[in-house]
Amino acid sequence: MSRIGVFLCYCGSNIAGTVDVEAVAEMARSLPEVVYVETNKYTCSDPGQEGVKNAIIEKGIDRVVVGACSPRMHEPTWRKLLADTPVNPYMLEVANLREQCSWVHKDREVATAKAIDLVKMAVAKVARLQPLHSIEIPVHKKALVIGGGIAGMQTALDIADAGFQVTIVERETSLGGKMVMLDKTFPTMDCSACICTPKMSEVGNHPNITVKSYSEVENVSGYIGNFEVTIREKAKFIDYNLCTGCGACETKCPAKVTNAFEQGMSQRTAIYKMFPQAVPAKPVIDAEHCLKLTTGKCGVCSKVCPTGAINYEDEDKLTTETYGAVVFATGYKLIDWKPLYPEYGGGKYEDVITGLQFERLVNASGPTEGHVLRPSDRTEPKSVVIIKCVGSRDPNKGKAYCSRACCMYSAKHAHQYLDKVPDGKCYVFYMDVRTPGKGYDEFYMNTLHDGAQYIRGRVSKIYKEGDKLICKGEDTLTSSQVTVSADMVVLETAMVPADGIDELAAKFTVGRDADSWLVEAHAKLRPVETNTAGIYLAGTCQGPKDIPDSVCQAGAAASKVIGLLNKDALQSNPQISRVNETLCQGDGACVNICPYGAISIVEKQFRENSRKVVRPVAQVNPGLCQGCGACTVTCRAGAMDLLGYTNESIMREVDALCQW
Amino acid sequence: MTAQDTIRARARELLESGEVASFVGWEAGRFANQTTPLIISDPADADKLVFNEYCVNTLAKYVRDLVPRGKVGLVVRGCDSRGIVRLIVDQVIKREDVYLIGVGCPGVIDRKSGEPLKKCTECRHNNPVICDEMAGDEVAKDAPADRFAEVREVELMAQPERSRYFESIYAKCIRCYACRDVCPCCTCRECFVDARRENWVGKQNNVAENRFYGLTRVMHIGDRCIECGECERVCPMDLPLMKLNRKVIQDLNDLFGEFESSMSLDEGPEPLITYDLADREEFM
Amino acid sequence: MSVVETNEAAAQVPENWEPKIIAFCCHWCTYTGADLAGLNRMNYPANVRVLRIPCSGRMNPQYVIEALNKGCDGVLVCGCHPGDCHYVTGNYFARRRMMIFKRLLEYEGLEPDRFQVRWISGAEAGKFRDTVMSVVEQVRALGPLNLTREIPYFELPAVPDGEEAFDAVPEEVVPEEVSA
Repeated sequence: MSRIGVFLCYCGSNIAGTVDVEAVAEMARSLPEVVYVETNKYTCSDPGQEGVKNAIIEKGIDRVVVGACSPRMHEPTWRKLLADTPVNPYMLEVANLREQCSWVHKDREVATAKAIDLVKMAVAKVARLQPLHSIEIPVHKKALVIGGGIAGMQTALDIADAGFQVTIVERETSLGGKMVMLDKTFPTMDCSACICTPKMSEVGNHPNITVKSYSEVENVSGYIGNFEVTIREKAKFIDYNLCTGCGACETKCPAKVTNAFEQGMSQRTAIYKMFPQAVPAKPVIDAEHCLKLTTGKCGVCSKVCPTGAINYEDEDKLTTETYGAVVFATGYKLIDWKPLYPEYGGGKYEDVITGLQFERLVNASGPTEGHVLRPSDRTEPKSVVIIKCVGSRDPNKGKAYCSRACCMYSAKHAHQYLDKVPDGKCYVFYMDVRTPGKGYDEFYMNTLHDGAQYIRGRVSKIYKEGDKLICKGEDTLTSSQVTVSADMVVLETAMVPADGIDELAAKFTVGRDADSWLVEAHAKLRPVETNTAGIYLAGTCQGPKDIPDSVCQAGAAASKVIGLLNKDALQSNPQISRVNETLCQGDGACVNICPYGAISIVEKQFRENSRKVVRPVAQVNPGLCQGCGACTVTCRAGAMDLLGYTNESIMREVDALCQW
Repeated sequence: MTAQDTIRARARELLESGEVASFVGWEAGRFANQTTPLIISDPADADKLVFNEYCVNTLAKYVRDLVPRGKVGLVVRGCDSRGIVRLIVDQVIKREDVYLIGVGCPGVIDRKSGEPLKKCTECRHNNPVICDEMAGDEVAKDAPADRFAEVREVELMAQPERSRYFESIYAKCIRCYACRDVCPCCTCRECFVDARRENWVGKQNNVAENRFYGLTRVMHIGDRCIECGECERVCPMDLPLMKLNRKVIQDLNDLFGEFESSMSLDEGPEPLITYDLADREEFM
Repeated sequence: MSVVETNEAAAQVPENWEPKIIAFCCHWCTYTGADLAGLNRMNYPANVRVLRIPCSGRMNPQYVIEALNKGCDGVLVCGCHPGDCHYVTGNYFARRRMMIFKRLLEYEGLEPDRFQVRWISGAEAGKFRDTVMSVVEQVRALGPLNLTREIPYFELPAVPDGEEAFDAVPEEVVPEEVSA
């Protein structure tokens, strides 16, 4: 038998005005297992709370019903109060007599009848509750940032500046991401390298930051505060402790490889740094192309290396560490437009390039040392066509979404081209020009003043005539056909999530949308958190963004991480799913339905009919379970139950109501 | 060699070689037009096995209790094999726990009426969907033209009439749970009807509790039902249970795309434990 | 055909009858919306009692059967709008499950208005009030839900007696023994 105490609140006249609280109390006294009923003018006031505490002690109450305002208002107050008494804080049910009764009904009789039912339901439920205890989850005061682009670097710096250890995992050989490839940044036209490389060296030199370049996340387990992450550091074949980064090896290496950093427009050696200002400022050997590693003959680099840092026997290294928080800053890549747009040549024409290739072309450290020369014959293009929304806003061929930054960087490209080739002509085919940002529209207007010709419409076909690229399109403002003869065409292609995001997100059970962008916990109110507690988002992994927005989000993610790492331990929510292993059949329907990946099937040994049996059962990870209870409904046998909202308590609540 | 000869020969070999610990098939009953399921572990008993048009029982579920004793050999037709798929997908048994001898099935005969059994006239897959070897060839058989004819029949009734129709069903039900016990989808370690704490279903045998059982049974097995029709066949009160199962299957079909459960081991999750953002919205 | 005769009581609505409706509301959206309706002092009929569940994905169809069986005249299930679920996907599963379950109940003869599912967000106090009002009115128009609870009395077939009982053999046992 339980001993239930019912505490009913007048809430001044808020409840008592429409509900006859004394009549409700009278009824409550007649309910089974109710040993004490008290009414109070303001139960939540200090004397009111004191009264509840005293009654609990004096009457030996072991579970409590409060009939007052909405549990969304004061449930935490009551829980806290009960924590100071012998009653378990979760042996509590709140009947919502104010928001959902006295405030919405006028007739006193009707409202009183409803209040009686609500109290009956609460009593029926509380009688079936069990004491619950939250567990303390320790927080490892260390953060992992995946991706070393501008977003990842900013997050890492902010967290590290707050005094916490950070590890950055970057799968390329250097930090910098996409930003460091850019030439200038809109709308201020700062040199991208000039603002990005100082960040890189700051990250590289920060005492609290460990940079793991040329590394990828191999495996993850655990939950908020305790993510156990295994990182695979790919073999670099160079001992970074010995290497001074002098670069002698690079100059002597005979192998030539297409340079991905220069967007395939130049060649690099097999032992290489991604670019001169790379951080770490030390080369790696590209095992696929190194002559020594592929054919066994060569070894020039080891001969020229003054410190003997070259080690051809190097192997991938796996390290496992525990992190309290994880930030995704995995960024984007440009959509592969070639198979999607055969009408633009599908890659056939060398002089149809992407925006990122154009960035390298105008960059002083790029393959042409900053001269705008078209790739096919290295001549200066006198007319350039820029096509926007290639792959964006085009659900039939590419993506339905707007890639957000292209309007601005196409204006920047037009501006840069006209700046470098003053007698050139620049045509921009656009669908809309979207310039919401500080100084953005002004920048666009300046580009127009520079002489860029904007044509509203899409290009339907590009073909070659002599050494000219003929772009046929429509000007929808004049409803006329337009044909432009261009020397070079720049396609401003859509942003899509970086390669491998699906596998990586699946490891961390982070949600992805239909386009594989990572999904934030709430589109408006929790934009940097994911649904997996302890995992946050920064930059373009969440959706297309420009640099300022990426940096903003990076800072926001960092502040969330700092907030988390500041705590020594987290109190887990004890109202989570629990498995009755006797009933569990281990068919895994619950695993399928859990949005947090909190349930796993494990083989366990049981003693059944005096025999040892090993059979699969579900197991709930208390750090991951958020207590939604979706799993309980898939469990036909009822082996999975949600503590605090058990099947039994809800059934008895329904029954209590039906007696009315 | 007839299928029956092959079954006997293979059962003997499998038991003698120790590849299986027990073998499940049918044996002749007291009467010529009757068979009963037979579980043997002695190779000498293999000649008791029969396979004829009176093998009405679906065998899959017997495997569940035999698996702890070792690998089980089993004769499977379309319905038995889908039952086995169900048990494997639901983690009740593992694929390597069973050795399946497939037979094509022309349909079996109701020994009382001499007519083909209802479940066989409705059968859409009379040949095994998985097996390790076949005894004899696959058998061609016409699939019924309309899988949901009986459901539509009920849907055409007016609302009060439907209500009365199902209340009369629940009034007849004696809650013997034969439909549950025979169902290869019903493999819970403890059925919800036996859960004392939640007390989903009261002990009384009345219309209300029977309705609770009936509705919940369908919700529990609907998206996994293999349409073997065994529940209906074993019902001592001759209740048309497939009218309920097929209703759910029909709706799953209409709403979430063509659906037929347990056709292979690598099907995706059942329709009710997955979702699609593009699902129809009717609750706005 | 039927052992259950038309329930005479169904046609008669008792005096002062008020529909009894239970609303299962998700904590994060609809329960919040219902609280907001209170804060705005909206007015709606008192026939609805709200039972709080954490998520519409927690909504087990068995609760609905229990409510209808034990005497509720109508059941309302409410959750967040699809896409807004606090637990990301709960209401997507609920949507599928409830679509199937609602069709099943209607197939068994329940009037569609007696079991309704609605997505009501935490801001939609007005929608909560309107939904409650319309559900109450619809159920009121339908009258009390008189599901049969007990098995009605019916005549059992005569049990054979005396000599007859001794000779009575179940008809299906056809004396055609198999020779070994």
